[in-house]
Amino acid sequence: EKDESTSSKDSTTKGAPKRQEGTAGTPKQKLLDIIGNMKVEVSYRRKLQELKASESKKQAMNRLEGPDSEGPQRNTEDIQRGRPLNAELVKAASAVASSLPLNKKQTESELLAQLRRHEETTDKQRKGGTVNIRNVISEMTVKRQSPAQRGVRISHRISLELDEDGQRIRPERFSSQSFDSRRSLKVGKRLNIFTKASTEPEHALKTVSSPTIWDLEFAKEIAAITAQPPRNGFEEMIQWTKEGILWEFPIDNEVGMDDDAEFHEHIFLEKHLEGFPKEGPIRHFMELVICGLSKNPYLSVKQKIEHIEWFEKYFEEKKEFLQEI
Amino acid sequence: MAATALCWALRAARQALPSLCPGQVRSYYVDWRMLRDVKRRRLAYEYADERLRINAIRKNSILPKELQEVADKEIAALPRDSCPSRIHNRCVLTSRPRGLRRRWRLSRIVFRHFADHAQMSGVQRAMW
Repeated sequence: EKDESTSSKDSTTKGAPKRQEGTAGTPKQKLLDIIGNMKVEVSYRRKLQELKASESKKQAMNRLEGPDSEGPQRNTEDIQRGRPLNAELVKAASAVASSLPLNKKQTESELLAQLRRHEETTDKQRKGGTVNIRNVISEMTVKRQSPAQRGVRISHRISLELDEDGQRIRPERFSSQSFDSRRSLKVGKRLNIFTKASTEPEHALKTVSSPTIWDLEFAKEIAAITAQPPRNGFEEMIQWTKEGILWEFPIDNEVGMDDDAEFHEHIFLEKHLEGFPKEGPIRHFMELVICGLSKNPYLSVKQKIEHIEWFEKYFEEKKEFLQEI
Repeated sequence: MAATALCWALRAARQALPSLCPGQVRSYYVDWRMLRDVKRRRLAYEYADERLRINAIRKNSILPKELQEVADKEIAALPRDSCPSRIHNRCVLTSRPRGLRRRWRLSRIVFRHFADHAQMSGVQRAMW
């Protein structure tokens, strides 16, 4: 099996530099025998069958080997992973560990951990692959051409006249619409093949935060180059409308007038007069001011309020002076 | 004063961007008198609101006279160029102070030049 051969190759590469040092002992011979016995499987179905058959055997063997190994730790790990390791791989790992001069138990446990990781990834890939393909295929149906439509399509393909071009599009459109009505797009399980592009707003924020001078110059250059002179009168009029030289038709009388305030906010300005004394010449004067502002159609409400507030400030500053009088 | 005037002139001298249609590209004001007129217009725009309000207090029969005298002094304290009556219309192209056609902001000579070359839209030699 492929993953076994790759994992054994990894273990052999680790053991290769050390082999030259050590003697040709029995563990190495064992290793070589094990590797020699391993074959590269080509067909996928046989692999699946063998896996299923050997799973039960390996579970039994692992339970036997469990107490022999480095204590209860590996047992719990195996149970957690769910999928037990191949017995041959375990033997190969133990042989490699024995051949190395370092701490044998540690190396063996590390090798087995690596093998387990390999197994996990391959399992995930296999499981994911089968499920996805099954889901995709389950939704598909074979498209069948009715003999009448088939004849029509062949005849359309052969004919090349311009009249038939318009007619060719229509029956195809009808047929596609009929198919869509039979199969709607949102029915069925989600396949989760495509992921939503959620990274777009982040990119937009990044670009807006730092427009350098060079970026601005580059943008100006591009705008100058792409702005070709107008080819005809229509394009000239379009350009003028964009610049603001030409009005937009039909003419809108309220272009540029963004006054959101209602009429009562323009006319009834007495509520802004709360800061002034209720009697006296100042009040008289401010009432005249308000009367004039209410009749003014050219100012916005904000400007009118600014006028009144300026008068308030002015009279506040002059309060001491006024009291002397 | 000379330094500030120079700074103002440098700020005022804007470079016109090269446009597609070939025409006059003017990158400076025609002369210093035109520049001074431009300064006056800017200041008048900035102080327009204040002048209006202080004048409203001054030209009054209701408020006490002492207040109006104070307002007189205040308005006199504003920069002299902020007064709108100091603005004098000049020709936009030649800076000529007299002989101006208000609708086109041009002096009579420039107006005649362009009209004869058919560069003024809707302007024709009168004949009756």
